[in-house]
Amino acid sequence: MSELTQKTYWKSLNELAQNKEYEKFVEREFPENATELSDGFSRKGFLRVMGASIALAGFAACRRPVQKILPYSKQPEDIVPGIPLFYASAMPFQGNLTGLVVENHEGRPTKVEGNDLHPASGGNTNAYHQASILEMYDPDRSKYPVRNGAKSSTADFHSFVADYFADTNKRVAFISEANSSPTYNGLKEEALNRFDNAEWVTYEPFGEDNSIEGNNIAFGRRVRTHYNFTNADIIVSLDDDFLAPTHPNNVEYAKQVTSRRKVTSQQDTMNRIYSVENGFTITGSYADHRMRVKASEMADFANALAATLSSRISGLNSFSSVNNKFTGSEFITVLADDLASNSGRSAVSLGFDYAPEVHAVVAAINSALDNYGTAINLLQVPHFDNQNNKTAFANLVSSISDGNFDAVVMIGANPALTAPADLNFTQALSGADEVFHLSTYNDETAKTASWHVARSHYLEAWGDGYSFGGARAVIQPQIQPLHDSLSEIEFLGAITNAGKVSGYDMVRETFSSFYSRNFENRWLDILHDGIDVTNGFSTVNRSARNVSPAPSTAINEIEVVIKPDNSVYDGRFANLGWLQELPDPITKITWDNVALLSPATAESLGIGTEDYLGKAKQPVLNIAVNGTPIKLAAWVQPGHADDSITVHTGYGREGIGRVADVSSESSQLFDPETTSGGVNVYPIRTSSSMLFAQAGVSVTGEKYSIACVQDHHSLEGRDMYRQATLAKYKEKADYASFESIHKYAVPGMKEAAELGEDQPISLFNEQTAVEGEPQWGMAIDLNACFGCGVCIIACQSENNIPVIGKREVERGRELHWIRNDRYYMGDKENPQAVHQPVPCMHCELAPCEQVCPVAATTHSDDGMNQMTYNRCIGTRYCANNCPFKVRRFNFFNYPKEYLTSGEDPDIIQMAMNPEVTVRFRGVMEKCTYCVQRVNREKISAKIETGSPKPADGTVQTACQQACPADAIYFGDLTDENSEVTKMKRNERNYLMLEELNVRPRTSYIAKLTNPNPALVKETNEEYAH
Amino acid sequence: MAQIFPKWTNQVPRLILVGLIVTVNVVILGVWYFFSPEYTDVGYAPEQPVPYSHQIHVDKLGLDCQYCHTSVWDSKQANIPPTQTCMNCHNQIKTDSEKLAPIRESWETGKAVEWVRVHNLADYAYFNHAAHVNVGVGCESCHGRIDKMEVVYQAEPLSMSWCLDCHREPEKYLRPVEEVTTMGYEVEDQLTIGAELVRKNNVSPPQYCQGCHY
Repeated sequence: MSELTQKTYWKSLNELAQNKEYEKFVEREFPENATELSDGFSRKGFLRVMGASIALAGFAACRRPVQKILPYSKQPEDIVPGIPLFYASAMPFQGNLTGLVVENHEGRPTKVEGNDLHPASGGNTNAYHQASILEMYDPDRSKYPVRNGAKSSTADFHSFVADYFADTNKRVAFISEANSSPTYNGLKEEALNRFDNAEWVTYEPFGEDNSIEGNNIAFGRRVRTHYNFTNADIIVSLDDDFLAPTHPNNVEYAKQVTSRRKVTSQQDTMNRIYSVENGFTITGSYADHRMRVKASEMADFANALAATLSSRISGLNSFSSVNNKFTGSEFITVLADDLASNSGRSAVSLGFDYAPEVHAVVAAINSALDNYGTAINLLQVPHFDNQNNKTAFANLVSSISDGNFDAVVMIGANPALTAPADLNFTQALSGADEVFHLSTYNDETAKTASWHVARSHYLEAWGDGYSFGGARAVIQPQIQPLHDSLSEIEFLGAITNAGKVSGYDMVRETFSSFYSRNFENRWLDILHDGIDVTNGFSTVNRSARNVSPAPSTAINEIEVVIKPDNSVYDGRFANLGWLQELPDPITKITWDNVALLSPATAESLGIGTEDYLGKAKQPVLNIAVNGTPIKLAAWVQPGHADDSITVHTGYGREGIGRVADVSSESSQLFDPETTSGGVNVYPIRTSSSMLFAQAGVSVTGEKYSIACVQDHHSLEGRDMYRQATLAKYKEKADYASFESIHKYAVPGMKEAAELGEDQPISLFNEQTAVEGEPQWGMAIDLNACFGCGVCIIACQSENNIPVIGKREVERGRELHWIRNDRYYMGDKENPQAVHQPVPCMHCELAPCEQVCPVAATTHSDDGMNQMTYNRCIGTRYCANNCPFKVRRFNFFNYPKEYLTSGEDPDIIQMAMNPEVTVRFRGVMEKCTYCVQRVNREKISAKIETGSPKPADGTVQTACQQACPADAIYFGDLTDENSEVTKMKRNERNYLMLEELNVRPRTSYIAKLTNPNPALVKETNEEYAH
Repeated sequence: MAQIFPKWTNQVPRLILVGLIVTVNVVILGVWYFFSPEYTDVGYAPEQPVPYSHQIHVDKLGLDCQYCHTSVWDSKQANIPPTQTCMNCHNQIKTDSEKLAPIRESWETGKAVEWVRVHNLADYAYFNHAAHVNVGVGCESCHGRIDKMEVVYQAEPLSMSWCLDCHREPEKYLRPVEEVTTMGYEVEDQLTIGAELVRKNNVSPPQYCQGCHY
């Protein structure tokens, strides 16, 4: 490949080192042992067992299976069997709502989509929203109240609290997770009025508390910082991963940020993103410039930035004397210049968990830059507590411990797991007589409670609330509660009103108080649109008071940084198999958490490349903070800050459910031999080390296997990814074309030109587009994609894709129809990372079709590469012949394992999409371009207009619909004006492996970066592949 | 030396060969016919919880198909009517009939009447009623003379080749959309009228796999 003018892209350190194990791995279509059946019985033994079941099946098949049809007794007005209905609702996360539209099949919700009328969604979702449907149907969810360990009922609970809380002199401690619901906060007022000796604390393990306190320092008001990145030309993220689903407003922010990177012509401009962080975050991988800084030095960095700016703009005089290792550095000087020349059009953001003083510094910078009112708004949030909730929580816990409370009421949080370890939360609870706890799972806190009450899922119960930006909406249930459970407002209502009031009545009453007249019509509109008002919070106009530099927190030794996990967050999503199996956007690790560290730090700890490269098992570290140790597998992360270790929360659970638990044994697929489920890192998170702490780190000599998919489906260094800077694009628009990259024309093109054809000549018969049929195609804008992985979960939800477990992922059998490849570029200490979603390419001259011996994969009239499951005999020739490695094989009868086992298989079956076949063992499958959606629209277009061509935009694939970056375009290529055709006309459009002449229908729009010219070192950088 | 085998044994290999050919052919033909949906499925007439007679309701009383199967124009499913539909008439007619007891019970309790499915396609085959009736595929074409059925049975094999018969040559089967629910529809020059309807309604039935399988 010497002729390529390429930058080197690599997926893993293994690939960069090109070691033997890596070559062996990528040479095989399926990794070693992938064809052997594992877990205790050999293939021969399996055939014996199979023999018996075949014989039995033979007899059983003589009987025609009798199916029943159960019509309604009284059919509800709007339900037509077979036609799904779509209702608006909203999902709360950290107390903030995101508007959703839920697909409902005869009263059974199956799929969640964004609500385009709701500003926090804009029609899109993140992985947590998509996976929430699985949470509702999770068979391990708490199903009934538990009183002192024994099964109870909500009726018993109601009669107990009516009696118990009749005495209003009871000393009650309320611990609630963040909740923006006006109904809920009304009940909170009621509770505090009713009980004279009550205290209320809002507790979130991760959240915006410090940001609010920082604003309190800077502005004297507890207000929320709400960005409007649409108005920001320069975005500086100081370890603020606002593109990750862990951020409560990530969908809105992602839409804003990516909207400024949609380049359609050479005249367009882009925003510029700087990221300063210790670990590799999603935002960092999307940034134009990324600087590695230890988390403990972030305060210094913020001070230095303010100091450097103080000579350029006014308002930061108190910083002018700051002098630390960052002042005067090239990066910060260039950054300050860029910010100063874009004042009023820039935004600096800081990760929530940094100290309030650092937030105040960032507020001062933004204030001096005049960014408030344009790119940033300060919002007066009515439901914020007028106290520092972190200290209030610590005080409350010690007060409970001292026996100052009769009852502790917890609404939704899981402090027994997540509270700072030094507070000894579980022990403190013994100071109270009664502990009430409402939660989705029978979790760590529920087990300490004398009354655990099962919590209704948001899809089952009425509720309301505000979005991060202040949009007010109603949470509309989609189904009756599946179990004997209560919603937050029903639970709190039972305690405060001492009576049973329905959630619906409470929410309706709250909303009627907002409208003095014509409420009835308004109420119907609110329910229909899923949105009430879009700006429910008033903005505050203040400039920062004289903020002083934040105290330095620099740690000279190794620091350990504790962050919420991209998949399971603080642990609340730990039992959702979809999220556990979703590869982390950067590390591509599934099912576990690891200790991330840089190659240099690994070296300094005595972990040589021979210890981790090409090894199935990774060395285990002992990480001790203040004498408390945890053991965690090390994972060498290119681009991580040196002398810094990042760990993620939410793993290492026990007694939660079959998916979350460490070493789960309830299912064959989750092999007890290999532990999965990771390690609980909360023991090292204390009040003084909520984000980072000095750590003593040593290598234990133990090994632990990690299921990482970064090398799976690798394409051996071919030019899959193409990018250039915005400046290069303006010089040469077609920098991503085959010819620009390879310096010669596409093979076969010359001969084709002689014959007067416009496609390269081929040995195979051309697919002819059938007259009158639409021809489907897709374009993926790499400039918009930031790699969050919501497309994978949306696809999994839409297409009934099973979860296969850690052991099977290790063997490379993951079934995701769309994968998101992450490539590194540059040196291993500080590379750039880019993302590339890869679904089936739907080649016009598909290599898979040419090798199928039974014609199970063929071409459809509307130009799709179709996979016919009932014809497939499982030779896997197609997968072997697919150059893009997008075909997936069912090695087991996964649906049988997880759809028909367990106590309540009916419940999980309800999560399936009835429009898509559930696949059996031995069948190949792959992306279908969501053919069920295509055909649904084709049929209705045919009925309505007589033509099978739906209007542009009516067919959306699941990945496209979910994507908050709007990176995926899908439509009819015969329509000259469709969005996808327009995108494909862009000069940056390129085909993957174009030289093979397989003519993919999926194409990519090459990436652009917008680096600051002052920081670009290689001036002669060529167009990269 | 005396012959060990009598002369007729010379015929044995030949007989075995012939026998084998006959057996193989019988087996093939047997599987061909007896394992086909045409043999196994046609005529399937399970007993229903209520002995509802289409003959009485459709032929004698003249109910149109759509009085009960309302969603056929809009949905992939031609719904089995809710109990409510039965009760429209039967709260006045034959209110104490023994046979209607399950209907009255369902109406009172809100529980469904458990009808047994007659026409059952494989799970991997997608079928959409609306797509068919809106272009003039008659009810009768797939379900047979329902109006003559005392007990509903499966009249056609519903096999893939049977589907393809029409998908390949729709002009042989199509009728004007307003005649869809007509029972016993017949015209002399079906081919001309059919071809005309194919043109008029822009009918191009999919013959590729994922028209039906996904």
